[in-house]
Amino acid sequence: MPSIQLKPCLMLLCVAMSVVGANADEPLRFNRDIRPILSDNCFACHGPDESNRQAELRLDQAGDWDLNGLIQRILVEDEAERMPPSTSQKQLTDAQKILLQRWVAAGAEYEPHWSFVPPLKAETGPAVGLGLSHSSSAAIDQFIRAELQKHALKPSPRASPATLVRRVALDLTGLPPTLDEQQRFASEEAYETMVDYYLASPTYGEHMAVAWLDAARYADTNGYQVDRDRELWPWRDWVVRAFNENMPFDQFTIEQLAGDLLPNPTLDQRIATGFHRNHMMNEEGGIIAEEFLAEYTADRVETTATVWLGQTFNCARCHDHKYDPFTQRDFYAMKAYFHNVPERGVGDYSAHIRQNSPPFLKLSAPEVEAKLNDLRSQIKSINEQLAALTTLTTDPTQNATSDALDETATAERAKLNEQLTELNKQVAAAETEIPTTLIMEELSEARPTYILLRGAYDKPGEQVTADTPAVLPKPAVELPRNRLGLAQWLVSRDNPLTARVTVNRFWQQLFGAGLVRSSEDFGAQGDLPSHPELLDWLAVSFQESGWNVKQLIRQLVMSETYRQSSRHASDPSQESDPSNRWLARAPRHRLAAEVIRDQALAASGLLVNRLGGPTVKPYHPPGLYEQVVNQRDNPQATYQQGQGEDLHRRSLYTYWKRSVPHPAMMLFDAPFREVCSMRRSRSNTPLQALNLLNDPTYVEAARCLAQRMIVDGGETTESRVEHGFQLLLARRPEPAELKILTAAVERCRQDFANDAESATQLLTVGATQLDATLEPVELAAFTALASTLLNLDETLSKE
Amino acid sequence: MHHEPSLAPSSRRNWLKSLAIASLTAPQLFASPAKQFAPTARRIIWLTQAGAPSQLELLDYKPGLVSQFDKDLPDSVRAGQRLTGMTSGQTRFPVAPSAFRFQQHGQCGMWLSELLPHTAKYADDICLIRSMHTEAINHDPAMTLLQTGHQIGGRPSFGAWVSYGLGAENADLPAFVAMISRPSGPTNAQPLHERMWGSGFLPSKYQGVRMSSGKDPVLYLADPPGINKTRRRLMLDDIAALNRLKFDDYHDPEIQARIEQYEMAFRMQATVPELADLSQEPARIYERYGPESSKPGSYAANCILARRLAERGVRFIQLYHRGWDQHGNLPSGIKSQCYDTDQPTAALLGELKERGMLEDTLVIWGGEFGRTVYSQGTLTREDYGRDHHPRCFSVWMAGGGIKPGYVHGETDDFSYNIVRDPMHTHDLNATALHLLGIDHTTLTYRFQGRDYRLTDVHGQVVQKVLA
Repeated sequence: MPSIQLKPCLMLLCVAMSVVGANADEPLRFNRDIRPILSDNCFACHGPDESNRQAELRLDQAGDWDLNGLIQRILVEDEAERMPPSTSQKQLTDAQKILLQRWVAAGAEYEPHWSFVPPLKAETGPAVGLGLSHSSSAAIDQFIRAELQKHALKPSPRASPATLVRRVALDLTGLPPTLDEQQRFASEEAYETMVDYYLASPTYGEHMAVAWLDAARYADTNGYQVDRDRELWPWRDWVVRAFNENMPFDQFTIEQLAGDLLPNPTLDQRIATGFHRNHMMNEEGGIIAEEFLAEYTADRVETTATVWLGQTFNCARCHDHKYDPFTQRDFYAMKAYFHNVPERGVGDYSAHIRQNSPPFLKLSAPEVEAKLNDLRSQIKSINEQLAALTTLTTDPTQNATSDALDETATAERAKLNEQLTELNKQVAAAETEIPTTLIMEELSEARPTYILLRGAYDKPGEQVTADTPAVLPKPAVELPRNRLGLAQWLVSRDNPLTARVTVNRFWQQLFGAGLVRSSEDFGAQGDLPSHPELLDWLAVSFQESGWNVKQLIRQLVMSETYRQSSRHASDPSQESDPSNRWLARAPRHRLAAEVIRDQALAASGLLVNRLGGPTVKPYHPPGLYEQVVNQRDNPQATYQQGQGEDLHRRSLYTYWKRSVPHPAMMLFDAPFREVCSMRRSRSNTPLQALNLLNDPTYVEAARCLAQRMIVDGGETTESRVEHGFQLLLARRPEPAELKILTAAVERCRQDFANDAESATQLLTVGATQLDATLEPVELAAFTALASTLLNLDETLSKE
Repeated sequence: MHHEPSLAPSSRRNWLKSLAIASLTAPQLFASPAKQFAPTARRIIWLTQAGAPSQLELLDYKPGLVSQFDKDLPDSVRAGQRLTGMTSGQTRFPVAPSAFRFQQHGQCGMWLSELLPHTAKYADDICLIRSMHTEAINHDPAMTLLQTGHQIGGRPSFGAWVSYGLGAENADLPAFVAMISRPSGPTNAQPLHERMWGSGFLPSKYQGVRMSSGKDPVLYLADPPGINKTRRRLMLDDIAALNRLKFDDYHDPEIQARIEQYEMAFRMQATVPELADLSQEPARIYERYGPESSKPGSYAANCILARRLAERGVRFIQLYHRGWDQHGNLPSGIKSQCYDTDQPTAALLGELKERGMLEDTLVIWGGEFGRTVYSQGTLTREDYGRDHHPRCFSVWMAGGGIKPGYVHGETDDFSYNIVRDPMHTHDLNATALHLLGIDHTTLTYRFQGRDYRLTDVHGQVVQKVLA
């Protein structure tokens, strides 16, 4: 490095250190220090995309490049000469320029992109001296503590048993702990038992399914235009069962991508293939089938690449990827796996929703079958009678009376035909009573697949055959070149991505953010792992365990890292790691949309905790549908609210209409489920407050929670308040809290005593029968209190 | 998703933001990555005509077609344009001249249809673009493209981008409001999707808030029966007191943000009903906006509400009026649509103008694509239908720095192909952002490793339409 630059460099080096953590005396690492700079600023024109490559310079891999020339171009004063050009809207910081200079000066070493290198299990060393309790989770803590030490941070103490009961219950089942559970697990010693208890609860599968439904873009309607219903809930139930039965993740993968191609597939294995029928489906009159077939298959490619490989394949649909080494050919070679389904590009708008988009599977429905058998035997008998009539009237020996006979026979025939028409109608109607579920099947002969020029469905280029992306390890030769082979390749030990992406997603679920924060992007533009060795250790352990999901979750939840308190430092402005990347405390964050509602239903005793079945329609603001849906030819033009139990099932069973998803879900950051989504944002808005304060869902829950406080909470105001608090937050209120809450009850009691009519009105909200034995003023006062509890930040947060 | 919070530093930023929302003196706190310059428009009112109004009956005057009645559209004109499945089975493509007369209006002499007598009074304020085009040929992809820059769902809508880029001007109201009306006549109303005002991969706080005039203008705004304002205030005080105790214990900045959001919710409970209550508007206003304006939820009522939102500093006000999809019985259907929309649209323009607000309000009127010159189904002089047509359509804009009394672009004699100054929907979006003072190439958001923007990798600011 020229000496004249030394002074400003020293100053800038400090900046560089604080930004990327590469000490001036520490050797640079291409993946950590250099690739992110090159990728974000240079790859778009000097990267993998050959068609757009400028100056024949390709910076994403080693080559015979004039790198000193490169450094000159990034340092040059003249703006017209400087790289990146101003038209790119990109600018290098001084710190980045220095890093690039150092890198070139040190010989410009390249490394293969980190996530394409097979994960290795680092030695973890003995867990002595750290006071760590649980051996199988100690490795996690060792990796975390090592980084904490590097950053001069100290882990937080353990959270209290009460906090942990609620945290684990919410994380593993999406429901608050019952009073009984709170008591059973009230000690540190009970922790492990508690974890196993919740892992074994059927509500675990329901909760775990939600993130998978986001990834799989699961919904109850087709998504485009008129957005009619579809039937895929049997697949959703399959997912819940798979989590509950702890199906190994490799099997989970294979059955969903290719269950139909397994030898003698079971009914369940065929239902599992609904995964890739979840994409949107267009039924709009006048669309061009080819165009949408291209969309559906592209969606399957992109979803598969995101969910298993953590790669943004959508970028390679129209041209080679700009940042990662995937070609357009790779995209269409992947498409060839998904292009052989006997499907139509257009849904059949005139068909019943259960039969509108083959291939589908009819599920067993014994009662309907019995009805159908009966109808069919009636049809058979009528057909026999008709045949007999024909024989009779054409019998030459009966000539004498033929005229009279003819007349009777014609009348008889007409009557029978009428009956036949009616019976056929009944058969058609009965057939639509049989539930169906969309599935994948394979054409006996593969459809030809072409590279689509600029991604346009009507511009086919070169023909391609099914293949995995060239840059990744090849599938074993014995694997078939179909979806089954693809699925087996995804979960093969040689695949460097699937295990990492998967453990990262589970980590994200429990810790609020992944070790790789961009859980959908493990490419050059994605975030680097905060703890690369830990990620790899988990990935390899996961594979070694036989892709055992519950064991992985158990390992994470048993770690000391997970069990820390989530309290922030007392002066947040002094916090050196405000985003909690190094995990010196447990994460504290808002609960997901589903959990917020389910928690309120559970604490108030309203929750109908029954697994599976068709979708349900709980409360929904009136008028919302009517404004936007097509009234003329859409039987779902009006939201037909369910009754009874349907109002209080868990939120994962709520009807998900893509054009008008449930507004409360949207307010709390659920995705539209139009495309694959790997993580949700967590916003904090006034509309959320309005929802929780005023939605009948929560006003009714408040009344029922109030009822529980009064009926089961003893005789005093304090004891009743404590009871409600405990039901919702799994702890006793602090004296200061209790004081505010009891004062609130007393105020409301007086207030409603003077205004009994308002009390009565408040109690009318919701379909649940009012307990007439309770005094309205008292119930209204506690209802107001319960509403306050349901709106606390702590209620809405996992802590 | 990227850049979004619950992680402390950005939460703190949001917290600052929410504090700063009221303060226009600190616009730098909304700093998005976008390059900004002096805007000519402070807000947009987008009068979205969903279903694709026919340019031939309204805005693109083609007198020569009268002599072409029932003659086949020359193949040389159609030139390989793909057909929708609705007319691909037709053996003929007979030319259908407009059943309505056109006349010149204003100083500028703009040719406009007799179906738009009220709008025509503002010809000298309008910039009429006759050369819009799109790729999409069906409603859902076309509207999604127009609103999000991409035919398939998943990306943020225009209003969400603006909300993200510029923030709110009024602390008590959302930055982006969407209002939807159904046709009063018996016509085919194409469905709409929440994604059209959704936030896509942007955080959900940027999504459009659906609003309507009348009793419950925003979802969940009204307190439940039995809870009056005093009770609500006291409950919120309790919630805040308990949340503050929690903050003292946990020091999580997200708790402070929550306290502030509950306060804003309370303020919205006061301001929004007042805003949406049109009953205080004088009788002359109802007369001006026409007979439908007294019906809550009508396009006309939404136009009045749009003016009230604009007055209160809402940045992006989007109306959707459904029912323009006239595949058959076009003349009667379009008449009924114009009855719903012409007078109120003009009344809104007039009011904005009189209040001096048209200067910094960009009004956009138009649909997602055009309609074919040839008839779908049976053709008579008085009755015919028109199929979807992506190659050309007309929209108009007014105010906010747009060139008034100007016609941009031209189509051929059949209103089938553009012969001068084509303007893609991406160009429209780029130009509208430009008027708001935003360079469309720099308003970006990192998602899946890529810096996405409203105009994707396309879009040109059309200088010719700027004042």
